[in-house]
Amino acid sequence: MINWKNVLFKIIILFFSLLLIGRMEKSYSQKKIDYCFSCHRANNDESAFLFSKDVHFEMELSCADCHGGDPTQKDMGDAMSTENNFIGVPVGNKVSELCSNCHIGEYSALYNSVHAKYSIKGEEWIVQCTTCHGIHNITRVKNRISPVNPFNISKICAKCHSNISYIRKYNPELPTDQYEKYLTSKHGLLNSKNDPKAATCVSCHDNHQILSKKDPRSSVYFTNLPKTCSYCHSNQEYMSEYKIPTDQYEKYIKSVHGIATTEKGDNAAPSCNDCHGNHGAIPPGIESISKVCGMCHAINAELFAGSPHKKAFDSMKLPECETCHSNHDIIAATDQLIGISSTSICIKCHSNEKLPEGYKTAKKMRELLDSIVALESTITKLVSDAEQKGMEVSKAKFKLRDIRQIKLEIKTVIHAFDLSIFEKKTTEIFNLINEVKSQGEYAIEEYYFRRWGLLGFTLIIIILAVSLFLYIKKLENKSE
Amino acid sequence: MRNKVIRDIYRWFDERLNLQDLIQLANKKYVPIHRHSIWYYFGGVTLFLFIIQVATGILLLMYYKGSEDLAFESIRYIMTEVEFGWLIRSVHSWSANLMIFCAFIHMFSVFFTKAYRKPREITWITGMILLFIALGFGFSGYLLPWNELAFFATKVGTDIVGVFPIIGKPLQLFLRGGEDVTGTTLSRFFGFHVAILPAIFIVFLIFHLILIQRQGMSLPMNIDQSKEFKTMPFFPNFLLRDLLLWLIVLNILAILAVLFPWELGSKADPFAPAPAGIKPEWYFMFMFQTLKYIPAKIWIIDGEVVGIMLFTIGAILWTTIPFWDRKTERGQKNLLINYLGLFCIIYIILLTILGYLS
Amino acid sequence: MNQGRRSFLIYTIGGSLISLLIAIFYPILAFLKPPKNKSIEVSSVKVGKLEDIPPDSSLNFRFGNSSAILIRTSSGELKAFDARCTHLDCTVQYRKDMGIIWCACHNGKYDINGRNIAGPPPRPLNSYKVVVQNDEVYVSKI
Repeated sequence: MINWKNVLFKIIILFFSLLLIGRMEKSYSQKKIDYCFSCHRANNDESAFLFSKDVHFEMELSCADCHGGDPTQKDMGDAMSTENNFIGVPVGNKVSELCSNCHIGEYSALYNSVHAKYSIKGEEWIVQCTTCHGIHNITRVKNRISPVNPFNISKICAKCHSNISYIRKYNPELPTDQYEKYLTSKHGLLNSKNDPKAATCVSCHDNHQILSKKDPRSSVYFTNLPKTCSYCHSNQEYMSEYKIPTDQYEKYIKSVHGIATTEKGDNAAPSCNDCHGNHGAIPPGIESISKVCGMCHAINAELFAGSPHKKAFDSMKLPECETCHSNHDIIAATDQLIGISSTSICIKCHSNEKLPEGYKTAKKMRELLDSIVALESTITKLVSDAEQKGMEVSKAKFKLRDIRQIKLEIKTVIHAFDLSIFEKKTTEIFNLINEVKSQGEYAIEEYYFRRWGLLGFTLIIIILAVSLFLYIKKLENKSE
Repeated sequence: MRNKVIRDIYRWFDERLNLQDLIQLANKKYVPIHRHSIWYYFGGVTLFLFIIQVATGILLLMYYKGSEDLAFESIRYIMTEVEFGWLIRSVHSWSANLMIFCAFIHMFSVFFTKAYRKPREITWITGMILLFIALGFGFSGYLLPWNELAFFATKVGTDIVGVFPIIGKPLQLFLRGGEDVTGTTLSRFFGFHVAILPAIFIVFLIFHLILIQRQGMSLPMNIDQSKEFKTMPFFPNFLLRDLLLWLIVLNILAILAVLFPWELGSKADPFAPAPAGIKPEWYFMFMFQTLKYIPAKIWIIDGEVVGIMLFTIGAILWTTIPFWDRKTERGQKNLLINYLGLFCIIYIILLTILGYLS
Repeated sequence: MNQGRRSFLIYTIGGSLISLLIAIFYPILAFLKPPKNKSIEVSSVKVGKLEDIPPDSSLNFRFGNSSAILIRTSSGELKAFDARCTHLDCTVQYRKDMGIIWCACHNGKYDINGRNIAGPPPRPLNSYKVVVQNDEVYVSKI
């Protein structure tokens, strides 16, 4: 049984579809008839020539899609009449707004970026889409001739950012040497060797939504920066051809510096760029490592440079700070590093047989440190004991703070590797420890004094109460 | 020779002050002896603790500074730098609590022995007023160290005052000296604690004591007043017994102050979040806990308002009991009063325990 | 015999009463004696005489439970700061040679107004108010 109704319905559908396809075909071929393009080319207009290589031309967009007007009108006056919405050359922000008709995501990213601020004339944004992408010769990013191709992008950024007088007008504190630095960086060097994987400006700063490094949303804000670097540097597959480790990020976030930046939000603690440089990123060499660390740990570096270790490390080609403290996974130094136990660093070179002098010094230093730790824990216990007993020990606690401070200072002066300097500090600590001890002991004594005083007072009251009681009894017996 | 000098001095005063009358009064005064005699002592102990409060309070005033930035520091100074400052402060705090405790015992003993009945209605009312002022002393004094717990307890306490219909808000503003608990509140509370409340207290106290001296000790209902009963002279027997008890109380106070020194805690920070476990002083605990149990809305009235109104009405009824307890006045046994008092005691104890457990 | 016991009682009462009074009044008198250490006010501290601190020098002192530093600049201006470095709580010092406030622990540097200018300190030093009264220098919290 044939369902005629159904067949009829299908036929109608088919008919209308054909009609629709025919109309679409018509409009498609109509587009081909683009009088704007054909006339302007015939008139040797450069824009028309450039546009013929443009990606938008390739995608069959017409001049009128940006400039308005009716490309089907043969008459110039009709085609470029205001009734046909002709705009002519778009100016100012109109340019980017036109692009946003299709590229809305990119537009809104630009809109939120530092580049969408008004220029000094106050008429338009500093950067429009066309500033970087070109005007009539826009090509795909992958195209080698595109100004935003990885091999060209740094030059296009440098056009403004290396122009001292230009940048000064907008942000006088912004440096202008990024491009030059970039060329010396590992990334720049690889880029100039045609390695498309090496990072360019936009790899770190984002392409459209470029934000100030002081903006917490920015990919280069100090708390976000390690993650940004790790995007490539922790990717084993991506980094495989460069033969460098990919565990720096993992090590860094567990390090004392990583915890300070990412967890405590301490913007003074170093992020990747503080040691490696940002635009001129390259690992510090063996000879310069102490200078890099010394930017913050100045005294340690200074003391180290004057210590006997400087010469020894140089001759053995050992990196200065890294040898004892490691690099990315650096943790707060403990007393364990000093001495002659298996966990100590000293013993690696200063064995009793080979270098007995250093062996003895290391041993002595560790003994002093250990005795400080032991004494400190005893007096801390004493003070907290007194506090538990309800005694006031804020002065002693204040001194305990001083002890902690000198302990920190010892961690600095150790870098002179000079026993006499070291002992000067430890003597200070021992003196303080004695003061705290006597104050703590005094507090404990005072505690017992109060108890004995109470006992005496109670005895007096008992005697008085008992005799008073007997006296009352006597009085009442007598009266009865 | 020596006696002559004393006699001369005595005569000099006697001629001017008529001491003979007082001695006669003292000699005439007798204290009844029966199995409820023990309760006679608690008024005296409360008085003794009050005297200690005055003495230690004056001493603390030598060093205390009633301002926001110095209050805490000055108490810490008293406790650490001033010799025996820890003792004076600790005694003041412990004595305050013992005093309120004894005042409660005194009040309930009077209540159960029905000593408020005619002709001692005024004595009862002045006593109740003294108790309320004592609570005011406690509430205002609690804030003075300006530590965290006191700060938030005062905040909560004055919040509750603000709930009171009509007069609540103005009263709260008056107590706080502003919208919030601030340094101004501290200044006010300091003023209340050392000037206004003592001035009012002393007036009622003198009145209360004069009434007791004039009317003598009340006898419990079950003692037949027409018959002969055992007595002891007030002077010196009862006074010496009083003194003996005071000595023991003094010793208890010293033991508490030395072995359990009152803590100072950490300085109040008005901008810090309230710490966990804010508790009022123990004698406000049962009210605080009751307000917690009352549902947020009862019919259309806020639960808190209902609770506070109930407590206020309760306090008024309790204070005016001599006027509506007609049966006792007629000399009949009124068991209802006994059950009511018992219920109150059990309620207070139960809610206080629950308050500390939660 | 009875008389003897009675007088013995009188003596014990008298003796213990006197000891009790001593035990009560001794602490009270000791309490009233002004303590040597007069620094009640943690929010204000007398640091010393003006002449004790010549221009271009500094003085570290205790302020409540923390340490503070008083600096007299070469022009004679007085400045006071919380001496705890904002990095790791070390005590800072005035460096004449550099004209800055300096932390020995990690080379943190603050300018003479307490602003962190170099090194690890994340924040400026907390500053205090300095008042000179009759040649005495007082430092107080603002």
